[in-house]
Amino acid sequence: MSYDDVEIEDMEWNNELQAFTYPCPCGDLFQITKDELKLGEEIARCPSCSLYITVIYNMEEISGESDHKSKKSIEPSKQQPVAVA
Amino acid sequence: MAANERANEEVHEQEVWSWGAGTEGQLGTGYPQDHHLPQLLPSLSYATTEPISFLSCGGAHTIALTPGGRVLTWGRSTSGQLGHGDMVNSLNPKRVDALQSFVITHVSAGWNHSGFVSDTGRLFTCGDGSFGQLGHGDYSSRCSPVNVLYFSSRHVEQIACGMRHSLALLKGNVEDHVYGFGSGKRGQLGTSRDRIQSISLPQITLGLEDNKIASISANGDHSAALSADGHLYIWGRGFGSTTDVYCPHRASASLTFTQAALGWNHALLLTGDGTVFMLGGNHHGGLSNPQKTILVKHTAEQSNEALVGRIPNLDGIKVLQVAAGAEHSALVTGKVIFKNGVIMTWGWGEHGQLGLGNSDDQTSPQVVSLGQRPSKECTMYNVYCGSGFTFVTRTI
Repeated sequence: MSYDDVEIEDMEWNNELQAFTYPCPCGDLFQITKDELKLGEEIARCPSCSLYITVIYNMEEISGESDHKSKKSIEPSKQQPVAVA
Repeated sequence: MAANERANEEVHEQEVWSWGAGTEGQLGTGYPQDHHLPQLLPSLSYATTEPISFLSCGGAHTIALTPGGRVLTWGRSTSGQLGHGDMVNSLNPKRVDALQSFVITHVSAGWNHSGFVSDTGRLFTCGDGSFGQLGHGDYSSRCSPVNVLYFSSRHVEQIACGMRHSLALLKGNVEDHVYGFGSGKRGQLGTSRDRIQSISLPQITLGLEDNKIASISANGDHSAALSADGHLYIWGRGFGSTTDVYCPHRASASLTFTQAALGWNHALLLTGDGTVFMLGGNHHGGLSNPQKTILVKHTAEQSNEALVGRIPNLDGIKVLQVAAGAEHSALVTGKVIFKNGVIMTWGWGEHGQLGLGNSDDQTSPQVVSLGQRPSKECTMYNVYCGSGFTFVTRTI
């Protein structure tokens, strides 16, 4: 059974994993790639456990807006540590 | 026994145990791996000059507080949540040097962020800030604890970090004493009666003005506040099939509580007489068999009020403390006929977070064995849960 239904806008783009992610209760991340989404896949899996979530998204938005959407939530990369005030 | 003899016994011997998901180093064992059975952590046990007075476990990191106000962290640091000035995971407990000149009195570990409160009322946050959950007025992450300037003229007493939001409790008899910041999409900030996205500066949580709040908690997309007279208020994502709650709402009109522990889909509530109730929890782990919970008759103030159920298999056992992971639960019992208190766990067990030696789920509380039982009578347990892992301190 799907652990949860999560809208794509609530998922975060992870540059390192090249995937949209959402917290898994085991501590790891549910993951789904852009390519998977474009193929109509709606299950994001956790690599560490048996749980998975159902991703709610609009197919047209993925092919058209995904690049724009992902920008907002890109996490700071390891090469550029965030400044400490 | 004379009082001064008791005082001499204040040299406590402490053991710290951990189990469950450990691949990010959150168990503090020195190895990035899961454990299905309790592991004794030698570096935090026995010969420590300062024992651990409090632990807070997040998504995959742990914060430890000593009675002297020092802070140790370990586990995942992908967003800088350990506060060590970098984004490097730590497999062993490591002091947070940036807080060395402060006496820290309260800490909280969220999914990927951390909060620290000093005895002077300063709030420091670090880790993932992409939803504004650090409270600095932006959406940046920080890898060292940074003072939340919004509260510079106020005295912060407690911090509670959830998945993507934070709550702060201010000290004193001020009217507006609970603040929320970060993601508010599920109503978890309680700052607006309308649906909001995120706020990066603290805002007052509505509907708690007339109550003296004693403690706050946050986990997943849930928030809770316990008033000094035992009234529990919850807001945020609905439990079970109930809808999201945008304003603090009293959980049960007929019951008063002394402790509340929030999971991602359930909440454990402890009453003054040591009885545990649960809200939600029929989801994945909590209690997967709803027939086993004894439903309490309650006067529904709202039609969408989640059911409050009593935990089975605890008849007559007084419970002293409750803790909730994302999908598992733990508790400490009082003395049970000739025996010291015990630790019990139930819920989701896939990563060994129940500490029962396997990865099975449990629908009712099971006793966890912590190796050889200490011979001394007065043993004090405390239990703490992270998303998929569990910590226990045993003080003898």
